[in-house]
Amino acid sequence: MSDNSVNILDIKNIEVMYDNVILALHDVSLKVPKGKVVALLGANGAGKSTTLKAVSTMLASERGKVTKGSIDYDGNSIEKQNPSQMVGLGMVQVLEGRRCFGHLTVEENIISGAYSRKLSKGDIDQELEKIYTYFLRLKERRKSQAAFTSGGEQQMIAVARAMMAKPKMLLLDEPTMGLAPQLVAEIFNIVKELNQKEGVSILLAEQNTNIALKNSDYGYIIETGKVMLEGTAESLLNNDKVKELYLGISKKGRKNFRDVLKEESLNKKIN
Amino acid sequence: MANELLFFMEVLVGGLLAGTMYSLVALGFVLIFKASATFNFSQGAMVFFSVLAFCGFMQDFNIPFVLAFILAALLMVVVGLCTERLVLRPLMNASEDTVLMATIGLGYVLEGLAQAAWGVEVRRLDLGIGDFPVPWIADNLKLFISALDITAGLVAAIMIIGLFLLFKYTKIGLGLRAVADDAGAASSIGIPLKHIMLLVWSAAGVVALVAGCMWGARAGVQFALVDLALKALPVLIIGGFSSIPGAIIGGLIIGAVEKILEVYIGPFFGGAIEGWAPYVLAIFFLLYRPEGLFGEKIIRRV
Repeated sequence: MSDNSVNILDIKNIEVMYDNVILALHDVSLKVPKGKVVALLGANGAGKSTTLKAVSTMLASERGKVTKGSIDYDGNSIEKQNPSQMVGLGMVQVLEGRRCFGHLTVEENIISGAYSRKLSKGDIDQELEKIYTYFLRLKERRKSQAAFTSGGEQQMIAVARAMMAKPKMLLLDEPTMGLAPQLVAEIFNIVKELNQKEGVSILLAEQNTNIALKNSDYGYIIETGKVMLEGTAESLLNNDKVKELYLGISKKGRKNFRDVLKEESLNKKIN
Repeated sequence: MANELLFFMEVLVGGLLAGTMYSLVALGFVLIFKASATFNFSQGAMVFFSVLAFCGFMQDFNIPFVLAFILAALLMVVVGLCTERLVLRPLMNASEDTVLMATIGLGYVLEGLAQAAWGVEVRRLDLGIGDFPVPWIADNLKLFISALDITAGLVAAIMIIGLFLLFKYTKIGLGLRAVADDAGAASSIGIPLKHIMLLVWSAAGVVALVAGCMWGARAGVQFALVDLALKALPVLIIGGFSSIPGAIIGGLIIGAVEKILEVYIGPFFGGAIEGWAPYVLAIFFLLYRPEGLFGEKIIRRV
């Protein structure tokens, strides 16, 4: 029982199938302690998005199903829930690829996040102002149509929209996909701030292993639907295997494409 | 000369007002297209079903006019409810094409149910508004304009204003626009799709009832109403499938153009070009402005 009070999310040995035939997850177990940031790392097709969708119960809309194992959120099984009920319970997913409502203004996008809450107009304005303190950029662009904002701004809209639902837990699916390094840092700063100031627990799926681990407390690495490695963010950052396979650094200090080229050109000069 | 101008004005105004009747039908299509991203082939059947039920309540059960209208509107809400539960929800994850086919099937079911319940004979619907020129306008402006056309125009105006306010300023309207943009993302932030679908299909049903009343009063409540709804297709192509103002303007354009062409160019073709001229216009739009005048442009960031 004491376990439940510590972990807001507890996934035990889940298996997920799409269309009753495609096995996407074999055996994934992970825990998100309350108030912590947990990174879920892996390459394309490893099962990161599937794991997140299993948690937010959005699998059903893609003909996916959890066939084994269990998922407990806040001490209760999520088996019988649907996505809008999960939002009501304080679990909100920010989908991969931002998915803003392109024809709505930035502000309408953010307000739509409060749909599940019964708020008066005044309350909504108050919440909006609070949200804007984290996303200053969006305040300037509040009247623009979302489709015409930049990729980074759209990602902020997606996170801000999710925050309007007042989540206890956020599921972020590749929030930095396709963004310039400076924006990646900006997004992670915001995520970190939301975690610390609002106390939101975060499960973060990322391919950008380095920056994700630097901003997380704990990490899991999955490959072909299985958890291969887990540990505190620090231990993973210092793990040789992780360095070699995901961070592009080996003991010799090269595994990086640029380094390979450099070495080759050096060899040519010598010859 | 003045007489010719007056005649032209009369054709134009008559056409514009008749066009609002098309707009009313097109409105129903737009509502559903916005939420389900599908062309609802059963809209014509919904028009027929709703107005036949309205007539049935009044004529077979002697229910007073207003009460019968309310009952018919409630019936359309029930139809919306059943559609959501029995057709849309099971097809939630199916492709848009599948939903499109389902609406064709739904159309046949509604046509069949309507005729099974109320019989197949043509019914007369008397709204208490005559389909003849308003004397006051005829006397003062020398224009012969039907009272029914004017009523249809007013009703269409009220409905567009009402729907505009609903979409722009209410919570459920915001939800609807969000679903229209990205249903998956809407559901991820807790907008319940089934409520939105229910609302939209019920609203489309009530719009169908209003359109059916107007058309039924003019042409009789009969099976032909189902096909008449197809006249809304060029209206939608011109106005844009996803735009409510587009449905209204498209209807006005179709109404005016078809009357003017009929009167001035029709004789060269031996008349009756009213029936196909709108489709020719629609083809030009498809070639040069496929999203229609007011349709939401497909926004691509470059």
